Parts: sequence; C-alpha cells; structure tokens
Amino acid sequence: MHIPDAFIPLPQAAVYWIIALVFLALAIRWARSELNEDKIPLIAVLAAGIFALQSFNLPVSMGTSGHLVGGALAAIVLGSPFAAVFILTLVLIIQGFIFGDGGITVMGANILNMGVIGGFVGYYTFQGLVKVVKNPYLSSAVAAWLACLIPALACAVEMSIAGTFPLVPGLVAMGIYHAIIGVIEGIVTAVIIYVLAMARPDLVDTSVGVASV
Amino acid sequence: MIDNKTFIIAGLLISLLIGTVAVFLASGDPDGLESTALVVSGQKELAGPSPEEGDPEVIGTGSFAYESPMPDYSLGEEMGSTGGIIAIVVGTIITMLIVMGASYAIRLSKNSQ
Repeated sequence: MHIPDAFIPLPQAAVYWIIALVFLALAIRWARSELNEDKIPLIAVLAAGIFALQSFNLPVSMGTSGHLVGGALAAIVLGSPFAAVFILTLVLIIQGFIFGDGGITVMGANILNMGVIGGFVGYYTFQGLVKVVKNPYLSSAVAAWLACLIPALACAVEMSIAGTFPLVPGLVAMGIYHAIIGVIEGIVTAVIIYVLAMARPDLVDTSVGVASV
Repeated sequence: MIDNKTFIIAGLLISLLIGTVAVFLASGDPDGLESTALVVSGQKELAGPSPEEGDPEVIGTGSFAYESPMPDYSLGEEMGSTGGIIAIVVGTIITMLIVMGASYAIRLSKNSQ
C-alpha cells in the first residue's frame, strides 16, 4: 500500500509529514533508551528482512498481489510500536528514494499508515490477545492481520480526503484486498517470530518469550 | 544459541535469499492500493483480473515527479533478472547498514551526554 506521489495533493501530504515527524521523534527517543549491543543486531536483521520481504509480492487472487509490511512484526518482537515507526521509516526512505516505491512528498502518509498505525495496531492487539489466548503465535498472526487491514482502511480515507478515491468504493476495495493480503501478513509474522524465538529467545520481547513457555 | 555476529550474518543471508527468490517468483499483479485505483477508475472489476496495460496512477492529480536510480527494483529491461537481483541485494544491504548506523549513532549521542 505504498502511496505514489500523484495520489495526495501537496498541502495534505505536508500534514501527514508533520504527523509522521512527531512519531519519528518519539521513535528516536525510544531508540535512545532501548537500543543496546544486543538489540541493534536484531533491529538491523529485522529491517533487512522486512525490506526483502516487501519485494516479494504474492498473488492473492482477484488480479491482486500483496506482501508483508512488517509493522506488527517489528513492534511485537522489539516490544514497542515505536520500533515499527523506526524501522518502517528507514525502509520507506530507502524504497522511496532509491527504488521509486512509494512517493517522496507522500512519504509522511506512508510512514503514518504502515509504521505508526501498523505498529500501534499490531502491538496493542498482540498485547491484549496474548493475555487472553496465551499463545504468542496465534496472537501475533491476528495482530498482524489487523495491522495490515486497519492501515489500508486509513489509506482509503486519506485517498478520499485527497479526492483520489471515492470514499465507500475505496474503503470496500482496500478492505477486501487487504483482508486477504493480511493473511500473508499474519502467517509470515507468526513464522518469523517463531524462528526468532528459537534462534535468540533472549532477544525477543518478554511478552513473546514468557507466553510461549 | 547463536552469538550476535552469527545472528547478523545468518539474518542477512536469509534476507538476501528471500529477495533473490522474489525476483523470480514475485507476482506481477498490482498491489492492493493499485488494484483499488484500477477499480475506482473503471479499469478493473473488484474481483476480476487486472488489465495488462492498466495504469493505476492515471487517477492521481499530483504533478510532483521524482526519478529514482533503480525504479521498480530493477536496472532496466535489458538487465533483466540480473538487474533485479543486484537491486534487491543492494537495497537489503543498504537497509541493514543504515538501520545499524542510525542505531549506533543514536546510542553514541546518548553516551556522549
């Protein structure tokens, strides 16, 4: 759901940039207090993996494809929605400037949708669910599915404000496509969290580790 | 349990492998946002196939244009999948280095206070 430059008028794009920069500042504050010698390898590997997986478009029927976004993954593994903002911002900068994937003026909106909304929805859904169902993999799969769907709906609303999509058809199409794309998000997120928890149980957030015992 | 260095190398290799496989296997269908753009601009039915020559960006009204060095994760038609692999490998390594560099820079700024 990388928005291209043509889809949002400049004044609106600027507003999304301002919102994104506020969350980026908070994400840098999070990084200052949380990143240590052990967490830096994890955040670097997660970022590389998210970049690679975002290039892997899988067919989801209806003439559409989708890939992992990774907001929920980053937030759950590193134990903070700001981890998602931090990683997704850097990934989106690289994608936009080097690969033309996602626009430059609209990068604030893309950071807001995939980093901020994806990160917060993924993190808090996971934290709420894991206490109830006691299964970190099921919880992370559901959280990741929502962290794909909700940003897509937010994107549809932004497209409607921009005058690019009509509101209801935009919400319907974005919702249907991303409800299916979210299944990829859910499965891939759960599998990666499982692998990370096996390889380095000390690195993943305690809410993943403790619940899996 | 594996140490940090092994973890980084293994993580990078797995990421590069995924990216390389993606060059050959990734679907060429438009993504969810592009499909929606095709639907609302009348180029595609909601559940139907995407048109070969559909242009999702025709619906956009903005005029800002930016020419990236490796558009669509490729080095152009003539470089084919080799160009695609180079683009993905470069992108994956740059991503890891930038995130690692930013993380260390933030940490240093904290320690120097």
